[in-house]
Amino acid sequence: MSLKPPVGVQRLPRGPDPNSRGFDRSSPRFIALCPTSIPSSASTGPGIEEEQRVRSELRERFLRTLLMMTDKPVQFNMYEKVQVPARFGASDIDILNFQVSDLETPLGVQKEALLWCQDVISCSFEL
Amino acid sequence: MAMRQTPLTCSGHTRPVVDLAFSGITPYGYFLISACKDGKPMMRQGDTGDWIGTFLGHKGAVWGATLNNEATKAATAAADFTAKVWDAVTGDEVLTLAHKHIVKSVNFTQDSKCLLTGGNDKMLRIFDLSKPEADPQEIAGHTSAIKKALWCNNDQQILSAAEDKTIRLWDKNTTEAVKTLSFETSVSSMEYIPDGEILVITYGRTIAFYKAHSLDLIKTVDAPASIHSASLHPEKDYFVAGGDDFKLYKYDYSTKEEIESYKGHFGPVHCVRFSPDGELYASGSEDGTLRLWQTAVGKTYGLWKCVLPEELTSENSEALYCPQPEIKA
Repeated sequence: MSLKPPVGVQRLPRGPDPNSRGFDRSSPRFIALCPTSIPSSASTGPGIEEEQRVRSELRERFLRTLLMMTDKPVQFNMYEKVQVPARFGASDIDILNFQVSDLETPLGVQKEALLWCQDVISCSFEL
Repeated sequence: MAMRQTPLTCSGHTRPVVDLAFSGITPYGYFLISACKDGKPMMRQGDTGDWIGTFLGHKGAVWGATLNNEATKAATAAADFTAKVWDAVTGDEVLTLAHKHIVKSVNFTQDSKCLLTGGNDKMLRIFDLSKPEADPQEIAGHTSAIKKALWCNNDQQILSAAEDKTIRLWDKNTTEAVKTLSFETSVSSMEYIPDGEILVITYGRTIAFYKAHSLDLIKTVDAPASIHSASLHPEKDYFVAGGDDFKLYKYDYSTKEEIESYKGHFGPVHCVRFSPDGELYASGSEDGTLRLWQTAVGKTYGLWKCVLPEELTSENSEALYCPQPEIKA
């Protein structure tokens, strides 16, 4: 039962965003400390634009690949010499997990599963 | 006018918070990382507690977490038998270092080039981060699980605390134990203060201060309850401690007198650390939260705002959150 008034607070600390793992790319710290990771020969001008064009193209190609994989049988090559076929469902937004169905494992077929993308070395499928 | 401490609660973790660490002061402020049994260590802005990001990748409880001075790298130690190094700006996992058992502690050298790890396989390991494929340097000697391992003396020596109830000081180059301290009970926490070369140790209800070079005892203080962690203020005028009775205790370092105790956590306090500027201290608890506490209660700093009585009725006062006595996040 204290008579002392409590210290005022502007707001409460911000909690985690349920939809992302954070590390805001628009924060001043990110922008200052993460220049484009592949250095281009020119520090400004046409070099940067070309790099951005190629990056956009690669990203688009990757996303289209994920779309094309949907509902197709895919062979996943993973660490520890694991090679498992499954039907690809979807990826999460950070490309951290792949949702797959009918994952064939040495222990049997897993009807539904999540694969950690960090465990995946490569995957292949028929177009 | 004396004011009542308002701790700021940082929620987000879903299991007990077992370790926390601050970075140094960077041009973007200072940062905090928390290790949690939910396997998802989080990084926060140090002065506000605002969440910055979560390091995703561990497959087991995270027992230890640390940031380098510049807050550009993070390292974590987990029950999945790995230590991981992360880019603390992007949140990306940079390196996974396999171990043979649960890893409990990780610590960067000042230049961030080497990482020290320790865990349940009783072995200290030094990884050269520029050669991650190379085998780590190993230091054997402890006869039980290592709880904490820290660089000291300009990264030339290593301090380790283990369940074998010893703290050992090792020379990095010879890998020999230079000195050993034995205790009646297992040490619960260890903090190294480079400026002044002081080692803060807790065991049972005791907070003990040692000279880091010689391991000579400076002083001990007994708390009312079993203490899990303590931290010395950068100016060495206060130290704070927390443990089994859920409270945070603040002591005068010179006189060893208890200044005040604070309730707030709903579970035992596992870790407590002062910020690098000494303006606040953070505590992690079994209740799954981190709380930030002001060193100078009532001062305007971070999210705390000193309000004079006149301001509360003024038309110009900004929107203020005035907390009720029992805040639940």
